[in-house]
Amino acid sequence: MAEPYLRVENLVKRFGPFTALGGVDLEVYPGEVHCLLGDNGAGKSTLIKTLSGVHQPTEGKIYIEGKPVTFRSPRDASAAGIGTVYQDLALNPLMSVTRNFFMGRELTGPLGSLRMAEMNKIAHDEMLKIGIDFSDPTQAVGTMSGGQRQTLAIARAIHFGAKVLILDEPTSALGQRQQMGVLKTIKRVRARGDIAIIFITHNEIHSRLVGDRYTFLALGKSIGAGTAAEIGDKEMRRLMSGGAEMGDLKAELDAI
Amino acid sequence: MADLNEATRLQKETTLQKLLRRPEMGAFVVMIVIIVALAIASDGKAFNPLGLKNNIAIIAQYGIIATGAAALMIAGEFDLSIGSMIGFAGMSMAMMLKWGLPFGLGEASPAMAFFITLAMTLGIGWMIGMIVVRSGLSSFIVTLAFLFFLRGVTEVCFRLINQSTQISGLPDFKLESWFANLMGGEVFGWFYDLWFMLGGNLNRRGEQWVTGFDARFLWWIIIAGAAYFILSRTQIGNWIYATGDNKEAARANGVPVDKVKVGLFMFTAFCATIFAACQVYDTNTSDAAKGNLMELFAIAIAVVGGTLMTGGFGSIIGVVFGAITVGLVANAVFFIPAIDGAWFRVFLGGILLAAVFANERIRKRITGGI
Ligand SMILES: Nc1ncnc2c1ncn2[C@@H]1O[C@H](COP(=O)(O)OP(=O)(O)O)[C@@H](O)[C@H]1O
Ligand SMILES: [Mg+2]
Repeated sequence: MAEPYLRVENLVKRFGPFTALGGVDLEVYPGEVHCLLGDNGAGKSTLIKTLSGVHQPTEGKIYIEGKPVTFRSPRDASAAGIGTVYQDLALNPLMSVTRNFFMGRELTGPLGSLRMAEMNKIAHDEMLKIGIDFSDPTQAVGTMSGGQRQTLAIARAIHFGAKVLILDEPTSALGQRQQMGVLKTIKRVRARGDIAIIFITHNEIHSRLVGDRYTFLALGKSIGAGTAAEIGDKEMRRLMSGGAEMGDLKAELDAI
Repeated sequence: MADLNEATRLQKETTLQKLLRRPEMGAFVVMIVIIVALAIASDGKAFNPLGLKNNIAIIAQYGIIATGAAALMIAGEFDLSIGSMIGFAGMSMAMMLKWGLPFGLGEASPAMAFFITLAMTLGIGWMIGMIVVRSGLSSFIVTLAFLFFLRGVTEVCFRLINQSTQISGLPDFKLESWFANLMGGEVFGWFYDLWFMLGGNLNRRGEQWVTGFDARFLWWIIIAGAAYFILSRTQIGNWIYATGDNKEAARANGVPVDKVKVGLFMFTAFCATIFAACQVYDTNTSDAAKGNLMELFAIAIAVVGGTLMTGGFGSIIGVVFGAITVGLVANAVFFIPAIDGAWFRVFLGGILLAAVFANERIRKRITGGI
């Protein structure tokens, strides 16, 4: 087995007296989709915010290609190849696809002028590679569907050098058809082979459809992890519900 | 069904359709209506050689400050201190021209008076910007404070140093100073020469009547042209739009949003200073009430030109149309003596309201109704 691109060892994150993450391990490999599953409040967002340099870990280590790293800011993380697509996507609805794609990293010519034709072409091509043929890159992002916006944010992260693509619940706010669109996008990125994907979701079916490896979080701890082959459907369902057996849950409800 | 994808759902528009949906369209139509109406109602007098010069003079004045106000609004902030800044800058220049440089450093040339004033106004603009971005307070309140503060400082300085709140009877600096001439002299004389050569532009004695436009016309063209280029074609322009649209998204992508805002507060101060300099060197006078209410006209024109109050959207071309419209109506009373001058404000209120509604519709269309 190849070396993991990103490895997390015994990561602890405390907010004052509150332990949001109580020692989590994680390994992500290029060309794989690593699903991060768990209930609301389990600590998924805290984990990825730590990986993206938003939070500093209280304890534990992060390794990139085997070397220990510390991220002091999101900029550090992004320079190390961590591309995070947050739930709000960091897009500007009134601006065009191209202007959003290159926001803050514009290609400029003399006098700081924008190389617009070139930028339009790159934005179009990068989005085409992962699944949408966007005929008009001058269209405002506000007119795009939620799934298209996801694709734009993902294409942008990849174009600017993401080696680990972190997607925080990319499907949760979308309708059925668009969810499939995002899953297709994830598959296409995976097929490139050089990018590791961390996919956060609540949805068992989605994680089954695209996941190579799973980590289940509950109350800030990893309660189970393994490859798709190792984790069967029944085990998956048990871990999804925070480690409880279906029978136990039923008994809990029946008691009311 | 198989070849149905997201791309095919976007209807291809013709160039004409695209043009009709542009945000400047409303302002353009209103402008054309006003031009035609004024030409008819004034019996052509509004656009005879002198009428044109006078109209352009006020349009350029409005246009200069509205460009600054619009650029700042696109970045999501307001500047209510523009009018007081005009008063302050005019006072500062006229005072130096009359009483010499501060601290008894001798006489001030027109250029020195201008550049020392500009250094001060840019400094104040920088300070306003820093207060806004550091405190996170609304720029509406911060600049409202500066509206009072600067106007007060202007009056106090006038009374303390000059014993009167106005300065008049300064020598006509245009005659010997090329710099004063650049600010207050005439430009595009060839236009009126040509008009004369073609048999028009005659006064009663049959001589050439008008010799050129006010210099502020050129300044307006320079400022609006530069703002247009920067906003629509450059990296900084992209940062300005991004800052006003969604500041957090811009920041997350590495846009220096605070620097953008501070820079634009300095830009509005710059526009106010140019406005004041053109006035001072043209008339060789100044008084403490100069620029009064101009901040509100600047914002109104920016909105009439299609700039969104909420930031992130707007066009300098629209602001040009807005300045022409508002300038012509402000001046209309001189060409149509029968009407009461107060109708100007009635009209401005009306189109402002209409523009806000129109802009809101545009915003909804772009953001998909959010
Ligand atoms: N900045 C913070 N300060 C204090 N508590 C926090 C902070 N961020 C998250 N938490 C807490 O940590 C826990 C895990 O949250 P989060 O990582 O957002 O969960 P998830 O994304 O899995 O739903 C929650 O109980 C949340 O209230
Ligand atoms: Mg979360």
